Amino acid sequence: MTVEMKRIPGTALSEKDIESGVVLSVQDQLDARYAWDTGVGIGAYLAGLKRGEILGSYCPTDDLTVVPPRVVCEWCYRPMDSYVRLQDTGRVNTFSLCYVTWDVQRIEEPEIPAVIEIDGASPLHGILHKLGEVRPEDVRVGMRVQAVWKPPHEREGAITDILYFKPIAETER
Amino acid sequence: MTLLPRDPEAPGTWQGSLPVASRYTYGLAGERFFRALKDDGVILGSRCGRCGITYVPARQFCERCFDELQDWHDVGTRGEVHAFTRLYVNLDGSPREEPELIAFVRIADGGLMHRLGELDPEAVQIGMAVEAVLKPASERKGSILDIEHFRPTKA
Repeated sequence: MTVEMKRIPGTALSEKDIESGVVLSVQDQLDARYAWDTGVGIGAYLAGLKRGEILGSYCPTDDLTVVPPRVVCEWCYRPMDSYVRLQDTGRVNTFSLCYVTWDVQRIEEPEIPAVIEIDGASPLHGILHKLGEVRPEDVRVGMRVQAVWKPPHEREGAITDILYFKPIAETER
Repeated sequence: MTLLPRDPEAPGTWQGSLPVASRYTYGLAGERFFRALKDDGVILGSRCGRCGITYVPARQFCERCFDELQDWHDVGTRGEVHAFTRLYVNLDGSPREEPELIAFVRIADGGLMHRLGELDPEAVQIGMAVEAVLKPASERKGSILDIEHFRPTKA
């Protein structure tokens, strides 16, 4: 529809109109702080990351290991049986080359967000993270990768305790 | 069956902040209202002759009959306290010794939400006559805070 519109109604404003005070405005910055309850499963996951471990949880009914750990199985709604320590290696399930930052700045070198199926979890179960130490054109679905961790004293129980995942050889564990 | 245990090392909450910045332009009527407040130090209302209502702050259209409002005029700086509240807590949650007074000040058939000042917090009453105290012209920015506060009208 917009392509056929000759003229878009309304009054267009430029940054100059605002700066010069031709058009009046008020600016504000909300103090939008939040605290998100980690819960039992994600709490254990974050504590695990601080120790340098990726945790999942296991449902014996469905023979399913999910990551991050959940307390209740999302398939059968039964309580999960146990936490499982997974490998810090895996396989790229899907990825994106991202040339725009979260605040809409263009960047030359792309960020490479990827879903990584973690070794030890059930097939197609993985986490979203970033890839590093790899040229954008070399990234492939199915590629083997391993977590690169922050040094222990810098870890804080956050997903960013893993800096990124880097490619490893097909056979390497 | 028991649930998975809580890890005693687990962080209870994940904390962060969202970067939310806003810029609000007032629109056609608002622009004219705040321009008059900034440049001329006056509060503008707009009257609908058909409905017999004077809107404050001034509107572009009558919200009863949708007629375009042509009759804009200075409604003066005086009004009366229609409702008020005493705030004993600051924005950041810290307590206040002296309350901040916030009132809806009725002017003509509308009014403005603003601070009350230059009075004893205990002496505020609904119906009290008040007047706007404006900032000096050089300090006015075209904001509702160009009005410092409302104070009791000097007899």
